[in-house]
This record gives sequence, C-alpha cells and structure tokens, in this order.
Amino acid sequence: MSIVEVQDVSKNYQRDDFTVKVLSNLSLAVEEGDFVALMGPSGSGKSTLLNLLAGFDRPTEGRLVVAGQDITRLSESDLAVWRHRRIGFIFQFYNLIPVLNALENVELPLTLTKLPKAKRRQKAETALKVVGLADRLKHFPRQLSGGQEQRVAIARAIVTDPALLLCDEPTGDLDAQSAEDILNLLSELNQQFGKTIVMVTHDPRAAERARVVLHLEKGQLARSAERVA
Amino acid sequence: MGKLIWRNLLRNKRRTLLTLASLMFAVVLLTFLTAFLDLLTNTEAAVDNRLVVRSAISLANPLPESYGPRLQRIDRVKAVTPLNWFQGVYLNDRPENFFARFSSDPATLFQVFTEYRMSDAEKQAWAAERGAFIAGKALADKYGWKIGDQIFIKGDIYPVDLNLTLRGIYTAPGVESSEKQIFFHRRYLEEAMNNPGIVGTYFLLLDSPDDVPAVVEKAEAMFANSESQVRAETEAAFQLSFLEMIGNVQFLFQAIGIAIAVSIFFITANTMAMAARERTTEVAVLKTLGFQGGQVMGMVIFEAVLVGLLGAAIGCAVSAAAITGMARQLDKVFPLFGTLAMTPRAWGVGLGIGLLVGLVSGLFPAFSASRLRIVDALRRVA
Repeated sequence: MSIVEVQDVSKNYQRDDFTVKVLSNLSLAVEEGDFVALMGPSGSGKSTLLNLLAGFDRPTEGRLVVAGQDITRLSESDLAVWRHRRIGFIFQFYNLIPVLNALENVELPLTLTKLPKAKRRQKAETALKVVGLADRLKHFPRQLSGGQEQRVAIARAIVTDPALLLCDEPTGDLDAQSAEDILNLLSELNQQFGKTIVMVTHDPRAAERARVVLHLEKGQLARSAERVA
Repeated sequence: MGKLIWRNLLRNKRRTLLTLASLMFAVVLLTFLTAFLDLLTNTEAAVDNRLVVRSAISLANPLPESYGPRLQRIDRVKAVTPLNWFQGVYLNDRPENFFARFSSDPATLFQVFTEYRMSDAEKQAWAAERGAFIAGKALADKYGWKIGDQIFIKGDIYPVDLNLTLRGIYTAPGVESSEKQIFFHRRYLEEAMNNPGIVGTYFLLLDSPDDVPAVVEKAEAMFANSESQVRAETEAAFQLSFLEMIGNVQFLFQAIGIAIAVSIFFITANTMAMAARERTTEVAVLKTLGFQGGQVMGMVIFEAVLVGLLGAAIGCAVSAAAITGMARQLDKVFPLFGTLAMTPRAWGVGLGIGLLVGLVSGLFPAFSASRLRIVDALRRVA
C-alpha cells in the first residue's frame, strides 16, 4: 500500500521574468514501510520534492497524496495539523531550539496535544531513549555534538509517532562516524519500528541503507533502483 | 510554550536589559508627570454641593461684604461663609513655612465646611476672641502648636501684621491637605484695614449637587448689573482654575508624555523586530512541527507584551518608591507638594503604556512570523 503518491506533479518558480521548472510531471509512489533515498545532482529537484511531500510548499500542477491525504487540497492550518500528526521532518542542520534542552526540544511538538505534562515528559524521554540519549535529557544543543544534536532532532521527529519520516540530508553536516550512527538509527526506525523514510542525500553510503534509490535529474525521475536484501 | 517565550526573552540578556531599562526610565518619567499633574489637579478637598462665588474680573478684585446676606437668600443655599486669602509670612519666607491663611467668619465657617471637626468649646473660644485663630491638626502637629500659643504673621498682600492666639485645632478626616491651613477672625482683619467691608470669595453650601446649575445661574444673574459682577463655580472648578493661571500645564505634560511613549515604542519595536528576524529559522521549525500561524503570532506578541509590562512594572515600582521619598522631603520644604503620591492613575498610565507599547511593537513582527512560509525561511538560511 502506497503511503506517498506523487501524480503528475510539476513545480515552477518565478525568478524575475523567468519561469524555472524544477519538477516536470513527476509521478512516483512510496510503499508503506519503505526506506527510499532520493538522489540527484544539485538543482535536480529532490529537496523541492521533499518540501512538497512535507506540505511546506504547493505544487504548480499535479496531486500529492501523503499518508492517505490529498495535501494539495488542504488549507494552511489543516496542513499544520496534518504535519503534526503524520510527518516527522529531519533537517541537515538539526534546527533544534537553542534555548530549550534536549528533553524540552523533543517535548515541543507534544505541547500541541492535550496530553498532560507528565505524559508528555514520559513520551519525550522514551523517544530520547530510542535514539540513545537517555543520559542527555537536560543538555542544551550547544552542549551536544553534531551527532547527538541530530539524534535529538530525530527523537523530536518521532515523538508524535508519525507514519512518515522525511529527511533532508540528515548526515550532510556530520563526520563519518556520526553519520554512520545516524544511518544505523534510521535503519532501526525503519526496520524495527516500521517507519517509512524518504531521505534526500548526496552521500552514496547513506543511499546504500535505503531499499529503494530514486535518481532525479532535471526534475524528472531518471532511474529507480531497488536493493535486494 | 511559556518556557520558550521566557527563555527567548533571556536569550540576549544585554539587549533585553537595555530595552527594559529604556522602558523603565520612560515609565518613571511618565508616571512622575502623571503624579505631578494629579497633584496639581487634586480636588479631594472639594465637595460637590459647595460653590465658590468670586469677582468675575479676577480673584484679586474683592466683593462687597453686602453680597453675603443676598447670596444666603437664594433658594437651596444652606449656608454662606466669606473667605479672604491673607497669605502673609510666618517665621520667614522659606517655602517650608508656607501654608494657607484665611480670614473667615467663626459663625458660618463650620456650617459650610461641614467635614471639619472641632469641639463646640473651641468654636466658642474662637468666636469670642477677635485675635484668635484655629489651625488644622496636621499643621499644628508640624509646628508643635498648642492651644494658647501665639503666632505672628507679617502681612504682604494686606499691609497689616497679625498677632494671633490659637484657640482651636480642627480635623478634616481623610483630607490631610485641608488640615494644613489656618483660619482667623475676619473682623480682626477688617478693623486692621479700617473696615473696608470687602470679601475675597464666598463659599456656599447647597442642599444638593443637583442644585448647582440653578444656584450658579441665580448668583451670577443677581449681580449682573452691579459694579462687582460675580462668577460662581463649583469648588473643584475653582481649585482647577489656579492651574490655568500657570498655562496649559495639562497639555504640556500630555505632549511630553506622548513624545516619550512614541520614542519608547520605536525602541521596543526595533528590539522586537530584531529578535523576530533572528529567529526566522526557529519560526519555520515550529511550523514544521505543526505550530499554526496564529500560535506563532501569539508567542511573538506575548513576548513583546511581557517585555513591555515588565519594563513598565519596574518603572512604576521605582517611581512609587522615588515619589514616596520625594513627597516626604517636599513636605518639609514645600508643603504644597507634600501630598505628591503615586496615584492609581499614575500606575494605570505606567502599566497601560507598557502594555500598549508591547502590543503595538510586537504586532508587525508577529504578523510577519505568522505569515512566514517554511520554504522561504529555510531557503533564506540555506
């Protein structure tokens, strides 16, 4: 069953008098529980596609059905609610809130729910335990290494138990060892917790962890490769 | 959410402190102006059903003594008493020794100023002795006067000196300013001046405040064709008319206040705009987590209001402490300003300005943050 359906999606940007076509009639599907790597040269449209899947931006044409919802039809406020419930987003540069400690950063999305404080704390602690940071709850982002910050960001992305994790070059800012650890963690989330992952990456080693690798070129799907386990 | 707002506030401590300090100073200045204006316009001693009748030309022009009985005959007038502002000099001309000195009629003063309290024995003693005077308790306490004490007042407006003996001490519960004056026998002054038969002002007590318009009209009409035309007004209006003598102070103070409020608005708005701009990525991140535009807007506005109210509260507290201390000192050297106080209106102005400045300065950055598109914010950073 597809958790992501991209149907004839095009995305154009207007730059002064020029129309830049970033995605052209792109169609693809991601199955539930898959781990998909999106690769391609700069400007190929992979980050744009990820932004569209997360509802950060809207396609010029086409339809996007993500986690059972046609998100092209949602209003901005409905998109926000949908994102909160269905999507976990992981950035290249972690983007933690610097004035909140690890536990508070992870708890942040839960403040939008009606959960009592104790329950929120418990869920945030569990998420941090899953990413191996149970001993860093009170640490602020500046007190953590890059790898640890990205783990906190992953914990924040999974704390609401979303069906789909969207990762924008999650290892792009990390050293080799930390990158390896993060990729192991993502694999674990995919295999043990059944999370569907769509990851944009330039790194072939990262792409090796994915079951499906999609190559984009000039806004179109160039090729698709499926790794046999 | 509250924690995030509070921590954001403390994120750049120096900037927050400087903003709070500028707000605080502005609020101190504003509340001082308000408290001072309240002092000048204070009419706590005024009574709603008391009228003042004086010369229509100016206070310096006296009225004939014969007006008293005629005013008394106006319907709804319960009592009439004459008051002459003597001024004079007690001890020396230093401001701390300045207090109000009036000549009046012992028989009618307490009929008009019904809030004054004094024993019948003291009233009789004052009435019986032409050189007697009565003093408010606050003033008697200040100088340590006791019944039987004599004081000397050197005339200035009136070219006569007074030797007076204290025969009564009155109280005016709840109106301390009314206890900082003396009254002496008007016959004493008349005789010293060779009986010119003049009165500075007449104070009238009416049956009810509802009678004011009718009595004002009748009193002014009664002397409209005479040589000394009169102006009748409520006691509060009479007191406020002294303020007009020194120009439009109220307008001046308000103009200064608005100028202060506008400049402090720009300072706070700049701070809030800088703070919001620095957090563009964080706003985008909050939105990726599911926060809605309205929630983000609320956070920014709340932070701005918090800054505004915090600065204003500190300013008000500083002002209250300073005004209290200053009033104590002023009371010693310039008793007229001894009742300077941080009035409820001054608190309201201070906190209100803080709230308004916070609200308005946070509005634009909050609106921008709420409208921010996640892709634009992330692209800007990348």
